[in-house]
Amino acid sequence: MSLKKIKKNKKFREVNDVGPLIKFGAVIALCVLLIPVFIVVLTGLNAGDHLTFPPEGLSTRWIIAFFKSEVFLSAFLFSFGLALITMVISTILGTMAAIFITRFDLPGMVFLRALFLSPLILPGIVLGLALYVFYITSGSGLARTFPGMVIGHVLVTLPYVIGTVSAALFNFDVNLEQAARSLGASPLQAFRKVTLPNISNGVMAGSIFAFIVSSGQFDVSLFMATPGNTPLPIALYWSLRYTFEPTAAAAGIFAILLVITSMLIAAKLVNLKKFSGVKFS
Amino acid sequence: MELSGKIKRIYIYYRPIFLVLPAFIIFLIFFVIPVAGLFVLAFDKPVAGVIDIQAQWTFKSFVRIYSRSLYFDAVVTSVSLAAIVSFIALIIGYPLAYLIAKTEHVGRNTFLMILVLSAMQLDMVIRLFGLMVLFGDNGIINGALLYYNIIEKPIGLMYNRLGVVVGLVQFSLPFMILSLVGIIRGIPPAVVEASRSLGATPAKAFWNIILPLSMPGILAGTLLVFALSISSYIVPALMGGWKVMMMPLHIYQQIAEMGKWQFGSALAVVLFCTSLIIVLVYQRVAIRFAGGRA
Repeated sequence: MSLKKIKKNKKFREVNDVGPLIKFGAVIALCVLLIPVFIVVLTGLNAGDHLTFPPEGLSTRWIIAFFKSEVFLSAFLFSFGLALITMVISTILGTMAAIFITRFDLPGMVFLRALFLSPLILPGIVLGLALYVFYITSGSGLARTFPGMVIGHVLVTLPYVIGTVSAALFNFDVNLEQAARSLGASPLQAFRKVTLPNISNGVMAGSIFAFIVSSGQFDVSLFMATPGNTPLPIALYWSLRYTFEPTAAAAGIFAILLVITSMLIAAKLVNLKKFSGVKFS
Repeated sequence: MELSGKIKRIYIYYRPIFLVLPAFIIFLIFFVIPVAGLFVLAFDKPVAGVIDIQAQWTFKSFVRIYSRSLYFDAVVTSVSLAAIVSFIALIIGYPLAYLIAKTEHVGRNTFLMILVLSAMQLDMVIRLFGLMVLFGDNGIINGALLYYNIIEKPIGLMYNRLGVVVGLVQFSLPFMILSLVGIIRGIPPAVVEASRSLGATPAKAFWNIILPLSMPGILAGTLLVFALSISSYIVPALMGGWKVMMMPLHIYQQIAEMGKWQFGSALAVVLFCTSLIIVLVYQRVAIRFAGGRA
């Protein structure tokens, strides 16, 4: 029997087959996950002043309104820039830290790893408040400033970079780097020419995660935002407290596109299976 | 000569530390010290508008949280809603996690993972916008029910506990699914095959074999969802319309609107410790329950 025939064989399929009940449940879960996103897209593209039932038809008026909107467009661009800066800092610092954590076995390494992952466990609102209080009491002048916000975002994105890069480093054969060293390469040369190309997918995926986490970050930004320094999530929150502006939904459409594109790139770079079972928040 | 050689050797040996130093220093200054500072501030004498350390240590703030029903109720509400959300997220998330784990087709598997990861990473405020348009009094659901004359006036789906639970489930579901997928995938098919060949029905095989073997994932998922739900600010703020007071709302209100720094910090400490204690206790109980497998 050919492999295809075996796979078509009912007995073979039985074990891995999922029942109709599981399929039905999976559809419900997908609905819970995706319907709110569809609603945002529909609201941003609808022709009426609100998204009502039944809908009034499609138009691009809210997309145009978004590009003319002082509040949302500047918030979107601010978030984009903030996420880029955060990404660069987190990727550099996180990659360096990940190399140290995976390569060297010193006492206290468990503690160090736990420290770097702890922003995932600490409630965001607690971290935001702690930073805000610290900025004010230390007299550093960082409270409600752009650098202060970048620091907060670096703290919450570093665990993702360290996690992703560490995973890539675990799969990398250290002997390759040592071979380069024994052939006369300096530590930096060996890293740049041998190690980095091998872990570059992990590094890039980590930086993509840092970018997305930063652009969706809410709790820490809440304490740092000022009218001039407003990331998109905060601007949306402020407007959502009073009305459901379709312009906000139009801004949401671009954020959705950004996330989906990033995820598609990340899926090309690393095996997404690895993310199951890992605590990410 | 001898000494400088030794110093050089020590330097070369410890040089890799410079790799981790920048990240470590940032964490020390902007994470460890601020969080420790918050704990210190929580035990200082509460004076409105004063943020500096007065070094008059007291438990006053904590006594107030315990004795004022406003704050104590917020603790109870937060814990119970987070527990309900964990349970619902498990029921809804398990089937999809199972489907992803059993999908061997690479493209389909990646597609499902991208859907879950995108839903997880998308800014929560945007997802809440969608939920609010759906659940509001003038929203889609009420609009559709009114349109077909099923109801006469809008039913309150939002700005109450129901709305908060729906929002939190939507928020935390991807985390539940990701915690489950890896564990379910790790269950050897041979075990299930064996039980089936010995005459177990598919339902029996699921209940007696697959479910117990999924326990570590169920444990990790419910813990993660609980911790995320109890500390969410944005969901109760928007879906609860400040009518369902969970602890993060009180924390922000005390700080941003009333300038009660010490009391706000005390609430933050209580939130963090409550979540930590419940996670630890639950882990203990669940490990015993799962027969040490988790």
